[in-house]
Amino acid sequence: MIFFFILLVLVLGTQIAEFFIPPLDWMYNAHIYIVPVIVFYGAMALPFPLMLGLALFAGVLLDALTVQVIGAKVEISLGWSILLYAVLAGIMHGMRPLFIRGRWEVHCLLTGLCTSAIILAQYLMITFRRGSVLFSREVWWQIGGPGLMAMLMAPVIFWMLQWLARATRYPYLPERISFE
Amino acid sequence: MSRTSIIALLVFGAILGYFLSFGSETTRKFQASVYQLLAPFFTTGSGLQKQITSVRTGLKSLEELERENASLRLDNRQLRATNQALRDVEHEVNRLRHALNYRERSVFKLIPAEIVTRDSSTWWHTVTINRGKEDHIETDMPVVTDEGLVGKTTTVSNTISVVLLVTDENCKVAASVEGTREQGIVAGERVAGGIAPMLDLNFLSKQANLQPGQKAFTSGVGGVFPAGLFIGTVKSFRTRELDGQAKLAPAVDLSQLEDVFVVTGRK
Repeated sequence: MIFFFILLVLVLGTQIAEFFIPPLDWMYNAHIYIVPVIVFYGAMALPFPLMLGLALFAGVLLDALTVQVIGAKVEISLGWSILLYAVLAGIMHGMRPLFIRGRWEVHCLLTGLCTSAIILAQYLMITFRRGSVLFSREVWWQIGGPGLMAMLMAPVIFWMLQWLARATRYPYLPERISFE
Repeated sequence: MSRTSIIALLVFGAILGYFLSFGSETTRKFQASVYQLLAPFFTTGSGLQKQITSVRTGLKSLEELERENASLRLDNRQLRATNQALRDVEHEVNRLRHALNYRERSVFKLIPAEIVTRDSSTWWHTVTINRGKEDHIETDMPVVTDEGLVGKTTTVSNTISVVLLVTDENCKVAASVEGTREQGIVAGERVAGGIAPMLDLNFLSKQANLQPGQKAFTSGVGGVFPAGLFIGTVKSFRTRELDGQAKLAPAVDLSQLEDVFVVTGRK
């Protein structure tokens, strides 16, 4: 349970930190997202109910800090990010047996893909609301770039979280410690 | 699936349904509460970021300092020339005002604010400022700098507010172009690839034929933005099937923005 609360605090901290990370101008202004990496690690390491709790917390926080309310119109309703996080974290949770066996490669790749999936879903929703479908090179970079960055960051962040889990004597750790 | 997981899923579904049922006003209130709760973290983070940036920019090589010195000398000469020209213009304006008995140009009530955070999301262009309800800030108030229009407030909590930037596609501003009778709606681009995003001035007449360098100002239509605020400079013009569209470079460099003013009314 302590590890679950540590993950919640980390999600809160990184969500705030993301506001101070400038976009990467050499990657068509792609943003760096760290929260999804933590959430997807939680999806592998936590049991199902706690995984849902983490997805709920991260989704509420993301929506509360980013959703646009203009006049009487909410662009993407509060709650959509919760659903997105829960579905994608559910997929990651399904790969848990691999994680238990100490295999991490697929999860690192999936973390990147799922991060991009969140941004793509947001883009599709705003496109549906605003009309006129645009898929330029910039759009693809802004969707793919954060996923690529998340994929690259995932091994380091996973290793740090793994270390934290051991330090807090978290019981659901991989049987093999091939990653370390 | 275990019984605990099913119960967790049901509870999760109920909470999700609760959030999805929020209307715009409830969402705004909830958002304002979250921002208010996190305001101390944002303010501390912003202070830390400024300190780090000042240390980083303070460390310059001798070569950089020499280059900067040369550039400043050039700027100084240019500014002197501009200053002289402005003095002449000021004299002429005063003379014309007096002659035509023009009313003194109305001045806005401005509340100074600092940028606390920049947008962390890919698709929305917003910043947060360190002013809120306690400073009499309300939703839909224009935000400006001495250079021109920045955007408008959307979510306002007690001490912090979210500003929707003029470069966001959702920030629509009624505009007119200097020296013409052309009126249109300015909106940001959905996806900006570069550091300096452009603005679209839509719904112009096909015969508008705007030239690069012409300036667009707020027309005052719509009630949110008062007339006469500088929005941007025309970069290009093209005709579409039904209307004309101009690309504008924003008047304000939003990537370097640090201090802004919220327009709360007229004096």
